[in-house]
Amino acid sequence: MTAKPRLLSLIVEVTQRCNHACLHCYNVWHGGEYPRGELDTSRTLSLLAKALAESDCSHVTLTGGEPLLRPDLPAILDFLHARGVRVTVISNGRLLDEATTRDLLRRGVGLFELPLLGDRREVHDALSGAPGAWDAVLAAMANIRTLRGQFVAVFVATRFNIDRLYETIKLAFAFGARGLMLNRFNPGGRGRAHIEELLPTAEQVRQALEVADAAAEEFGLPISCSIPIQPCLIDTRPFKKLGFGFCAAGSERAYYTLDPLGNLRPCNHTDTILGNLFEEPFAALIARERMADFVRAIPAFCAECARRLECQGGCKAAAQVCYGSLTAEEPFLRQRV
Amino acid sequence: MPVSRRDFMKVFGMSVASLLLTRCRFPIGVTCYAPLPPTALPDSARGRLRLCWLSFDELAQKTTEEASRGSTENTLGQQLAADHRAALDELVASGELTPSIADLTQEAYAAAVYHVWRSNAPMTCYEPMIVDYAPTSAGVLVQQVEALSQAASQGSIDPQTLAKAQASIEHDMAYYALSDADVQALYERLISDWQETGQNAPSFEAVELELTPDAKAAAQFIVDLLTGK
Repeated sequence: MTAKPRLLSLIVEVTQRCNHACLHCYNVWHGGEYPRGELDTSRTLSLLAKALAESDCSHVTLTGGEPLLRPDLPAILDFLHARGVRVTVISNGRLLDEATTRDLLRRGVGLFELPLLGDRREVHDALSGAPGAWDAVLAAMANIRTLRGQFVAVFVATRFNIDRLYETIKLAFAFGARGLMLNRFNPGGRGRAHIEELLPTAEQVRQALEVADAAAEEFGLPISCSIPIQPCLIDTRPFKKLGFGFCAAGSERAYYTLDPLGNLRPCNHTDTILGNLFEEPFAALIARERMADFVRAIPAFCAECARRLECQGGCKAAAQVCYGSLTAEEPFLRQRV
Repeated sequence: MPVSRRDFMKVFGMSVASLLLTRCRFPIGVTCYAPLPPTALPDSARGRLRLCWLSFDELAQKTTEEASRGSTENTLGQQLAADHRAALDELVASGELTPSIADLTQEAYAAAVYHVWRSNAPMTCYEPMIVDYAPTSAGVLVQQVEALSQAASQGSIDPQTLAKAQASIEHDMAYYALSDADVQALYERLISDWQETGQNAPSFEAVELELTPDAKAAAQFIVDLLTGK
C-alpha cells in the first residue's frame, strides 16, 4: 500500500470568481485555455474529503479568486474544522465586514492573508483594479485585530508601488499585522499583460530589500520573500532579517494546488494540470514520474551555476505561463544581462 | 517569539505531566496502574512534592470516574495543588527555595493538574497549549500607536476604521494593567474559547525561549525533584 504523501499545506482555489481585477493577478485561468467553473457544495466537500483522506495534511489555504464570494464558504470551513485542519484564507478583504470576520474566526480561520499594496488609496486601488479596495482592506484588518484574529499583509512589489514600501510596512504594523509577505511581482495570468509596466528592476528589488530589512528590525515584524529572488541578480545574504524561499515543487513543502474543479497542479502559479483528484488517487497525481518534468526543469543559463539546485532559475511556473516552457528564463531572470 | 516565564513554566509542567502519564500507560516494568501496596505519606516536604507529581495517574482515573457520574468537579486536583503549595511553602520557610522559584514551580504544577484534568474530562477535545494572547510587548504597542498616529495625520484613513484600530491597541494596552489573578482568569476563558473553535496553538518547538535564571532554576528544581536528586 502506498504511504499517504505528507504535505505541509494544500492550496485550494474554491472559486475563480473575483470582485477585484488586480493588474498583477497570477490566477492561471486568465487569458488561457484553462478549464473554467466550480463544483457545487456537495462535490466540493467530497473533493476535500478525498484530498484529506489520501494525504497527510493538516493545513489548508483557501484562495480563489475571492473565496468569500462562495456563499458556502462557512460550510467548507465547518467541514475542515471538524477534521482538525488549520485554515488560512487569502482574501482581498472587500467582504470582511465585522460580522463576516467574526463568523469566519468562529469557524476556525487561523490566519488571513490580505493585500496591502501601498500606504495610499490611489496606489492600492489602481493595482487592485477596484475603487474602494484600500479602505476595505484596512477595515478588514481592523476587524480582524478587534476580534483577536491574525493576519499577515501581502505587498506585491511592482514599479508602481515599490518606492512606498517602508510606509506600507509601517501601516501594516500599525494595524497589527503579524507579518508581511514581500513578494516581487511574478508575472502570470492577467499580470502577463503588464510585465513592462509592473515588473521592478533587480536594482529596485535590491533597494526594497534594504528597506524591508531595516523595517523588519525597526518594527520587529517578520518579513518573508517567498517569490524566488535569484542570487545571480541579487545577493540576499546581507538581509539577515528577511526570509527567502525558492521553488519547493515536488517536496513536502510544495504548494500543491487544487482548482475549483478538482484539478491538481504542482503550485498555484503554474497551469500544469497533474490530473483530476476525482479520477486518480492523490499519491498517483504527485508521483515522482509525473512531477519529474516540473521538478527537473531549469533554464540553460543556470546549468553551470553552483546554486542551481537551490534556486532552480527562479519561478519556472512564471517561465511556463509567460513563455510556454518550464526551462525558459522567467521574466525577472531575463534582467540578468 | 519570546515566551514569558509564566508560559514557559506552564508548558514545562504540562510536558512533565504528559511524560509521567505516558510512562504510566506503557507496559514498561511496573506500571502505575498495577496494584501497589498502600504507602505512608512521606515525612519530608520534598517527598510530598514528589508524591504530588506522581499522582497524575490517580487524578486521571478520578476525573474519568467523576465524569462518568456527570460531575466535572476537580476536587482531587484542587487538593493536590493545595498540598503542593503547602510543601513548597515549607521549603521556602526553611530557606531551600526562594519565593520566586517556588511560585514558578507552583505555576508549572497548577498547569499540569489542569492539563491532566481537562485531558480526562470528556467535555471537549483538549490540546495542551499556550495561549498566545499577550501582544509582543508594551513597547511594540507604543510603537504601533505612533505609527497609527502618523498614518492618521495624513487624513486619508476612514475615521471609523481608524477608531477601531486605535481601540484595539488600547484594548491590548489594558492587558498590561491586569493583575495576575485577572490574567489567570482571562487565560482560562481564552483556553476555553479556543477549545470551542478548535484552533491549534503554535507548537512548543516553534517557540523561541528566553528564560530567566529563576525560570531555569524552577524547571531544574522540578527535574531534580522527580529524578530524586
